[in-house]
Amino acid sequence: MGSALLIQLTSQSSRKKNISNIKNFILSSQLICILDKETNIKIKETCYMETARNNTSIQNKKQTDASLYRTVWRWHFYAGIIFAPFLIILAVTGSIYLFKPQIEQVLYQEYYEVNPQGDKIPASRQIEEVKRLYPDAVVTKYRPGENATRSSEVSITSNNESLTVFIDPYTGKSIGELNNEDRIMDKIEEVHGELMAGTLGDRIVELVACWAVVLIVTGLFLWYPKKKQNLFGVLIPRLNKGKKILRRDLHAVPAFWITAGMLFLIMTGLPWSGFWGSNFQSLATNSGAGYPPSIWSGSAPTSTIKTKDIANVPWAAENLDVPKSEIQGFIPLSIDDVVAIANHEGLHPSYTITIPNEKEGVYTLSAFPPKAQDEVTMHIDQYSGAILADYRYDNYGLIGKIVAWGITLHKGTQFGLVNQLISLLICLGIILVAVSGFYLWLKRKPKKEMGAPKAPGIKKMKLFLIILIGLGILFPLVGLSLIVVWLIDWLIIQRISIVKKFMNA
Amino acid sequence: MKKNICLSFVLIFSLFLSACSLEEDVADLYKKENPFEAEIVIPESFSNNKQETIKVVLTQDGKRVESADFVHFEIWKQDGSLNYNMEQAEEVGNGMYSLSKEFDSDGLYYIKVHARNNSSLIMPQKQFIVGEFSKSELESLQEGLQKNEGNHEHHH
Repeated sequence: MGSALLIQLTSQSSRKKNISNIKNFILSSQLICILDKETNIKIKETCYMETARNNTSIQNKKQTDASLYRTVWRWHFYAGIIFAPFLIILAVTGSIYLFKPQIEQVLYQEYYEVNPQGDKIPASRQIEEVKRLYPDAVVTKYRPGENATRSSEVSITSNNESLTVFIDPYTGKSIGELNNEDRIMDKIEEVHGELMAGTLGDRIVELVACWAVVLIVTGLFLWYPKKKQNLFGVLIPRLNKGKKILRRDLHAVPAFWITAGMLFLIMTGLPWSGFWGSNFQSLATNSGAGYPPSIWSGSAPTSTIKTKDIANVPWAAENLDVPKSEIQGFIPLSIDDVVAIANHEGLHPSYTITIPNEKEGVYTLSAFPPKAQDEVTMHIDQYSGAILADYRYDNYGLIGKIVAWGITLHKGTQFGLVNQLISLLICLGIILVAVSGFYLWLKRKPKKEMGAPKAPGIKKMKLFLIILIGLGILFPLVGLSLIVVWLIDWLIIQRISIVKKFMNA
Repeated sequence: MKKNICLSFVLIFSLFLSACSLEEDVADLYKKENPFEAEIVIPESFSNNKQETIKVVLTQDGKRVESADFVHFEIWKQDGSLNYNMEQAEEVGNGMYSLSKEFDSDGLYYIKVHARNNSSLIMPQKQFIVGEFSKSELESLQEGLQKNEGNHEHHH
């Protein structure tokens, strides 16, 4: 088909497919596609040559409205087709990841659960056992376990692999090891966060999230009822008005219902992203209102002990010619002292100790438990045990607090099962909306075309252009992709007539 | 128009990229700790049959710490042949605390200072040599076996 122009019919009679009742005509040398204003469903498609010319101001306004509608629709259309598959991937992996605590509890029960018997043995002895079992490994982390029946974990790096060794803290024996690579939940997180494609994947996910915002904004515009006081087709799907209307309503109505939740998941997920998120976090931290440094961005403080005062272990020396001054000096604290400090300072019991492997490094104690208010990040001088920084939730700036809440809500941990179920509903809604949108397109699509609504030049749509540029500035990846779209349009679509026709440009 | 849009995007991108690093003193905007610090002074040389004094200078927030809650010294020899249990050090004044002990046998020693001032607790540990130290001690160092064989009393 040729380029299909849409006419927004203001007349009530439009649904009657009565051509004589159509009040509006748009000049066109090609086909005119008449759409029901409520449903956007093609009710008549026919060839009207020049019929009438009416230049009243009302008519002009209506034309502008119609072309704005088409423009928004066109953007929603292409953005939807491109990003729907990704949104489905994110929603599916997200739905599974929501239940990570329960799933891992079942999967790794044999590693997690221990029988309490007597006192726990010191952390240092547990780590020694791990060093004995893995002589070449570097010990990176120690997690004591949050309650009496939970095993402790020692994270090691061995032959470029990250392993977690589970230790029974009562016997000091290893229960088993897990390669982080083999953890199914880690894989799912990798798909959800970066489509298993590293930095490129991270940027794609971010782009999808940003474009989902564009989809929501444009979708709301298209959904917004033109007539008042009719809940059907707006808040309730019309089940008995025929298949076409049902198809439209099964996309637009649920989409409206999940809009807030979807926007919430996007906005709380974005601070995680590699580009927008890192910059956002840095800006927030720099302003004093974000997370304190070293929690998301920025490095941990370094030891207050001067390097020259630290004892050197003479690795290479085979005789006793090592200068005394080298050997004399401060030596790192035992991990047992660090555990004692943690107990004294009242950390959430799920904390993990990151063990420094550099001379200037510090012990970092961190806990990110289900509830944002329990978070803690503490840096301890590895030679003196002095607390160099102690950041609790209360020490976050306002933006930091909001982001922290956003993260625990996004992960579904903040309010436990209720939180998980609500998030699951939103995810299922996203899948439904993405699939129904795609189905809607397949059903409406003419055979040899994309079936995109024809849009006038963007330059005529000043407001829309400004909104797009605004979104492009707020989300630079959207801006970047817009530039790419314009380049493709300018270099390819507009120059090759078949493509131009296919894309209805 | 297109050129202008592109140009402004380039400008905005560079703005964003420049904003992406953290300012150096950004930690000052958040809760700050005043780390409690200890300088442990070991005598230059040790002589037999004579008490030697080990000193510690405590500072916090750039000031010397007078009358700390407690300052305990714990000293032991690497091979386990000598063990001075936790003992209160004497306040000398001006943030300095000391303890005198005999160090008659040569070798590798450890000292651990437990000090508390208000709510800050530190426990720095230093290794030092009295006289000459033996090959076996060097080897044990190389094996990374500097185990704390002192008492594990804690003041909590």
